[in-house]
Amino acid sequence: MAPAQRVKQNTEQRKIQFGNFAAMTGLDEDAMTEAAAAQFAVPASELSASHKRGRLLADQLLRSFNKRPGQSDIYQFVAWRSLFMPTEIIYAMGIMPFTIEMFAAHLGMSGLAGGRLETAEGSGFSPDLCSFIKTGAGAMIEDILPSPDIILTTSHLCDPAAKFAAHTAHRYNRPEFVLDIPYGIWSLGSSISDIRKLNEAVGYVACQLEDMAEFITRETGIKLDMPKLTEIIGRTNEARRWLMMGNDLARYANPVISKGSKELNYAANLMQTWGTEEIVDVYRTRYEEFQAGGRSGRTASSRPRIIWFHLRPYYHNTLLGYIEDHADIVHSQVNHVFWDEMDLNDPFRSIARRVLMSPAYCPVRQRTEMIIDNMHKGEGIIAFYPKSCRHFHSSARIEAEMMKQAGIPMLTIDGDCIDNRGDDFLVLKTRIDRFFKSLRLQARDDAEPLSAQGR
Amino acid sequence: MNNPKIGWFCTYTPIEILEAAGLEPYGVRLDSGKGHEDVYLGDSMCSYVRSCLGGALSGEYDFLDGVVMAHSCECMRRLYDGWEFKRGDIKPGCLNLLDVPRIYTERSVDFFASEIERFKQSVEAVYGEISQQAIIDAAVKSLHTSRLLSIIDGARKRHDTPVTGTKVQEIMAKGMKTNRDAFNTELETLIANLGSGDDRLSQPRILVYGGPANARLVEAIEDAGGLVVYEHMCNGIRQIRANQNLKDDPIRYLARSYLSKPPCPRMIGEHGIFGLSRLKRIAQEYKVDGIIYFTIKFCSNAQALWPMFKDVLAGVVPIKMLEGDVSPDINTREVHSFVKNLSRRLQQHGTGTEG
Repeated sequence: MAPAQRVKQNTEQRKIQFGNFAAMTGLDEDAMTEAAAAQFAVPASELSASHKRGRLLADQLLRSFNKRPGQSDIYQFVAWRSLFMPTEIIYAMGIMPFTIEMFAAHLGMSGLAGGRLETAEGSGFSPDLCSFIKTGAGAMIEDILPSPDIILTTSHLCDPAAKFAAHTAHRYNRPEFVLDIPYGIWSLGSSISDIRKLNEAVGYVACQLEDMAEFITRETGIKLDMPKLTEIIGRTNEARRWLMMGNDLARYANPVISKGSKELNYAANLMQTWGTEEIVDVYRTRYEEFQAGGRSGRTASSRPRIIWFHLRPYYHNTLLGYIEDHADIVHSQVNHVFWDEMDLNDPFRSIARRVLMSPAYCPVRQRTEMIIDNMHKGEGIIAFYPKSCRHFHSSARIEAEMMKQAGIPMLTIDGDCIDNRGDDFLVLKTRIDRFFKSLRLQARDDAEPLSAQGR
Repeated sequence: MNNPKIGWFCTYTPIEILEAAGLEPYGVRLDSGKGHEDVYLGDSMCSYVRSCLGGALSGEYDFLDGVVMAHSCECMRRLYDGWEFKRGDIKPGCLNLLDVPRIYTERSVDFFASEIERFKQSVEAVYGEISQQAIIDAAVKSLHTSRLLSIIDGARKRHDTPVTGTKVQEIMAKGMKTNRDAFNTELETLIANLGSGDDRLSQPRILVYGGPANARLVEAIEDAGGLVVYEHMCNGIRQIRANQNLKDDPIRYLARSYLSKPPCPRMIGEHGIFGLSRLKRIAQEYKVDGIIYFTIKFCSNAQALWPMFKDVLAGVVPIKMLEGDVSPDINTREVHSFVKNLSRRLQQHGTGTEG
């Protein structure tokens, strides 16, 4: 299909889809547009980091439907991206990324995921599949998502996401580009053979990224502006620096200066906002808020300190509140910055390195050893692993045994991030209480002199 | 001759490298764990992988000298982790974790060729140098196996299909554990004696699509009165390599041959889509009356492919989705009901894709 014909189709389809989306939330289109305009009327300078982030995502979602708060409609090229697809090239070509998992999380938070899950399961999506994907699939079947111009998919970490992307390409009759990502690159050593493999992997992915840019040009008519790409990578680097500085403050401050459950909403290493001007501002503001929090003069806390693995339950739940009543979530896997600053003079290889260097996509032993090396006294781990996420759920036992050997308390919760149909807090409560008790006991043992411990 | 045996688990493992080293590849397939399931990988893993690790932990594979694993999907990647984590309790060590691209392009062929080269080096480190000629010889023999299997497969397009699916399953299972030369000889004999299957003319012809299927699936379909004419499964057609040009560098030839073979649901991009569209033609060529889509529970790729599969093949022939595991247990009632419906349809309207 010619790009112009696709634009024409999308323009018509997105009008219907926006109406369907609004109807799902219980609003009509006008009410939704007005609500958005009212929210966007507040100056950015008056917003917290978290609100700035929320506004950015809301703006991006509306634009994907060709809508702009308070302004007339304008066509927006949209690329559906799988969760781990880098965004810099997409932004450099003036295209809006749309991430199905983020949309699913949004529906989960709004209490709107249940109906979509049932739609998907009723249409052949197995109950065993990832609930983010199933929610997205239900939304696709109900036609509430903005039709894509193109679909961009990576092969790594999540098998159902890659299969679902192919399904969407078929369903919307839109072209798909797949970026194949080699496995286990982060865990390579320094032998000649490993260095050679690293270079080959970087070269393989970098060439594919160039192919991807050509694919986008072919399918949309938009050419890649290299100076723009450099500028966008520069923004990613700047946002990364603010994020890391904020992470360091949050991890080590006592009393704590961050609210862990809110921090999980950033899910920084999965987000589609890398490369935007706004995300630089979001992470700068977050850092400034943490700095201000550190000057509050409150006394230090002896509460257990938690490192959170995987994502949070997005639906309304008792779990997170209960945990935060008794402990502080000071860091999370999803906000961990695992990649080096990117080289502005070597954009494709830099992006390739960043994608490849994910510790999550390497053998469990190596990634767990890395975690053990980075844990501090008094910290414990809560791993919230959905059973529908094969990748993380299946590594829980091995991780738990390795943590146990290293003397690090770990609690694995078989939960779900989106699907609340199996949520049963009371069953979990006993295990959580016992976990906190073990953390407190460990803190007491650490505080006692060694001679006393030997008694 | 008792050459060391090396276990493999996924059809994307280029076993010709093992053969070139004078080793005997041993496919751990339907007999994976003999019912033993592990606990280390949790209960959200596919039963094939869990039974493989369970079998390893209970000593089922102690006769193997080592194993090689392909990083083909999220479950196989965890099999490696479990095997490696419990290496003190499992006798055969893992020689190599082979990273297999999920797309078929010139670039992925290059990358996979490098991976195969690394696999070769890891085998050489234990068993000595492998010459280029030995790889070519192994590739030629393997290609011959594929051609012989293709002849048998081609004969199944006939109305009087000369072999049953159960027989083909038996052949494929044997091929995974038998010396290549002996297996090729056996296939040649079988082809020379291929007769006629006139007595099968009235049976509904069924295509089975799935992963490493349940050991009893094909037999259960045929017990119910169906005739399986095509197995798009790991223990079926996916073991037939694509016919590529062996004038290429032999390692690159292997890379291309494996990546371009009939795709497992793990494959994405154009080759994955091509595999689905080709199924429509296969259904016509083999005069298929119905399809059974069998997915092992918790196989994300097969489970996630199903909604698209039924969209793409809608209206071609009736399709039945079955979910199960690798154990010989099967829901025979569902199988019987589907075959019976196909038989009734045949009597009323004639053959599915021909009618």
